[in-house]
Amino acid sequence: MPQRRIRLNFVNIFLWLLGGGLIAIAVVGAILTLSQGRFSVEAFQSFLIAGIALGSVYALIALGYTLVYGILFMINFAHGEVFMWGAFTAFFAATALSDIGMMESNPILAMLLVLLTAMLVSMVIAVLLERIAYRPLRGAPRLVPLITAIGASLFLQYTARGFYGSGVRAYPTSGLFEGTLALGPVTLSVKQAVVIGAALFLMVALYLFIERTRTGRAMRAVAEDKDVAAMMGINVDRIIVTTFAIGGLLAGAAGILYIQIFNQVHFFMGFLPGIKAFTAAVLGGIGNVIGAAIGGLTLGILEQLGPNLLLSGYGIPAPNQLKDVIAFSVLVLVLIFRPNGILGRKENV
Amino acid sequence: MDAVVRRGLVIGLLAGVANVHVSLVGLLISLQTRQLVAGIVTLGSALPLLIALLAGYLAGRYRSAHGEPAPGGRILLAGALAGLVSGGIAALLVVFITQVNVSWIFVNASARLVSGLHFDQDMLVGSVILVVASTLAGLLGAALHVLPRHIARALSIGLIVTLVFALMEPFLGAILRNLGMGAVDRFLFSGGGLTQVGAVIVLAASVAITWAWRTRGAAVTSRRLEAMKPDQRRTAKLVAYAAIAVLLLLLPQIVGQRLSEVLTVVGIYVLLGLGLNIVVGFAGLLDLGYVAFYAVGAYTTAVLTSPSSPLFSPELSFWAALPFVIIAAALIGLMVGTPVLRLRGDYLAIVTLGFGEIARIIFLSEWAKPVVGGAQGILSIPAPLPFERDPQSIYYPILIFCVIAALGAVSLANSRVGRAWNAMREDESVAEATGVSTVKYKLLAFGLGAAFGCLSGALFAAKIGTIFPNSFDILVSINALALIILGGMGNIFGVVLGAAVLVGLPELLREFSEYRLLIYGAVLVVMMILRPEGLLPSRTRRAELHEREDEEEQFDDEAGVDTARPLVST
Repeated sequence: MPQRRIRLNFVNIFLWLLGGGLIAIAVVGAILTLSQGRFSVEAFQSFLIAGIALGSVYALIALGYTLVYGILFMINFAHGEVFMWGAFTAFFAATALSDIGMMESNPILAMLLVLLTAMLVSMVIAVLLERIAYRPLRGAPRLVPLITAIGASLFLQYTARGFYGSGVRAYPTSGLFEGTLALGPVTLSVKQAVVIGAALFLMVALYLFIERTRTGRAMRAVAEDKDVAAMMGINVDRIIVTTFAIGGLLAGAAGILYIQIFNQVHFFMGFLPGIKAFTAAVLGGIGNVIGAAIGGLTLGILEQLGPNLLLSGYGIPAPNQLKDVIAFSVLVLVLIFRPNGILGRKENV
Repeated sequence: MDAVVRRGLVIGLLAGVANVHVSLVGLLISLQTRQLVAGIVTLGSALPLLIALLAGYLAGRYRSAHGEPAPGGRILLAGALAGLVSGGIAALLVVFITQVNVSWIFVNASARLVSGLHFDQDMLVGSVILVVASTLAGLLGAALHVLPRHIARALSIGLIVTLVFALMEPFLGAILRNLGMGAVDRFLFSGGGLTQVGAVIVLAASVAITWAWRTRGAAVTSRRLEAMKPDQRRTAKLVAYAAIAVLLLLLPQIVGQRLSEVLTVVGIYVLLGLGLNIVVGFAGLLDLGYVAFYAVGAYTTAVLTSPSSPLFSPELSFWAALPFVIIAAALIGLMVGTPVLRLRGDYLAIVTLGFGEIARIIFLSEWAKPVVGGAQGILSIPAPLPFERDPQSIYYPILIFCVIAALGAVSLANSRVGRAWNAMREDESVAEATGVSTVKYKLLAFGLGAAFGCLSGALFAAKIGTIFPNSFDILVSINALALIILGGMGNIFGVVLGAAVLVGLPELLREFSEYRLLIYGAVLVVMMILRPEGLLPSRTRRAELHEREDEEEQFDDEAGVDTARPLVST
């Protein structure tokens, strides 16, 4: 592979200054914070665990972006809304089940039912989205499906607003996941453990599905080359629908895990996690399943740890208000300096 | 079951789903407050019928595999079936929400929805009316294909015009009252819609005019236009432009206070759309963080002119602050433009979206509060004119900036710069190879886009007098994007039309305003699928977007190859 020539023009200089400046700010901030001793080791530990829990939710959503991007080369902008619908469904299912008392009498089965309905509804929405909004536009110029995706995202968002109201609804707390666990020196709440465990389980299941099953192999083939795959007798349309369905299932699961952490649902809740999960997918290398998982975790940890570690050293008031700025800055930096992400394939560079 | 009937059933089913959607989303209830024809029908109650009418029309548009229409009887049957199914599903919805308590899930599944769907009648009578009226509406829709063409056209245009007149009551009524024709207003309009007599008059008049135009007017006009000499044609054009200019100048006086307010909002969005049009429509860079420019313009103006900025308030006048706004625009354009120079397509969209959010979060944060006021925003920004802040006078600076921007955009589009943008949009690598400096032209596009956006923001701040960070969320970007897409990318008139429809109409029809984003979403999807070049497309854009279809017809197999092209290049 030939060496890439690095040209010294003002764009490069600007980018280096920008990147170097941001990294310098981060490093100096971290040193300042640490030297001032603002947080104890336990505080950092709890930031880290909260970050892993949040990051595993991001990872589940990111998988949906990555799978679709790997096959269709399009950003399914409405994926955050699929997640939001999953969260709403989980909320209603949980409320209904706790009203009839099943949440108390048989909590494990009730939670599984909630999980199942949420995943199914999200799957149906993802598949409908593909059928109605994206399939007619296959092969159109690249911006066209992206704009459709934005439109679909708005439509789903405001449909939820109309259907379920514009207020924030609080999730019924069940006694199921209360309490804390101690794993050696680390303590984490049961909720966080459940979220991390469930996300891990789903990611492993997805990995095995893609690597070991016939459909998974077909998905990889379609991602590699649609036309050749079609010639090999693979039904490309069906594989695309399957991909959307899997993305939807994972987003639905992410929805219920997310409300375990935050305890509330709202029609706008899909927007930021959606963008952040996309960032995670890009960070890990879009199109790459393991990359999405790594990217999600990295972003979650950065978001929880970042504002306190990097910014509070400067004495910035309420640094947590700026946590989304950190997430977006990461996205910008990654796209500028390593557009293929941590695990991205080289040939795309 | 033959194909025609099956099509009718499928479309009826979809229309039924649409009925359920508009019902549960609350649109139907909210439109209940709006009279269409006084005392007879409200817009909310007419909604299922309009859906059935459309369903019947679509069902009747059947073509066989050989491109032949179905026999008339079957078309009518299909239309009636479509209407029947659509109305039937709505009736089932009513039964469902009265029998099962779902109001804890669907906030709109209420008694008001039931009475709206049932035309305020009781259960049995109401559902019978609903189903029968839907069937008739479907039948009417299908009949438009069966009737002789000129009758069908006169009828459909008549119906549309009547509907538009009824909907535009706030607008038309205000104009009539302003021109001292209150009597006409009272005769035609009442309570937000047409009077019964008015409805009949408008329907009859529009049918008659369409009829007469078809037989006489259209032919005469086009013959006269063709007979003109070139210089005569130019004069005619000039006269038309002059008439438009006079109209634009007099508009606030004609329409009065409240509508002038709407006009100023539309004007600000026209400016925003013109700027975004340079970035997206001309240069092909999908910027979803356009609001960042708008916010920077507004905040620069606010901080420089208002006395209430906590740390820094030189209290300049609007016009003295303007040069600083332009400088800020250039800076922010470079700040946003440079990092994204190497990104293509959708990556660029997401990164710019990120920039937009960063801007809002920073304006909202405690950290920047000493300068920009945090969540409390900045108050008491002076108006751009020495006298009081009223929409009728603030309209003029906005108009001036819009006209300058439009002229600038037109001349840019037809210049060397515009051609370079065209080349870049069509194929970046080829443009680069033929000597177009993509770095330069991308930055230029961002810089100009930023200038327009910042100006628009400055005018917004001066118009409204108080700004808060939450006025600058992603929805502003989406709004601007939706309006240039509806109007037609790359076309100035398209931008104006888009702003008038997407920004002006919801301001006029308050009942819709809560649902405007829902409607924008639907508009974006539908436009992209049916007419991606917009309502008033520029010629190049249209050709570009349909190029693929032509290619596909010629080389069926090769069409997909292009989609696999890598998106990011370094």
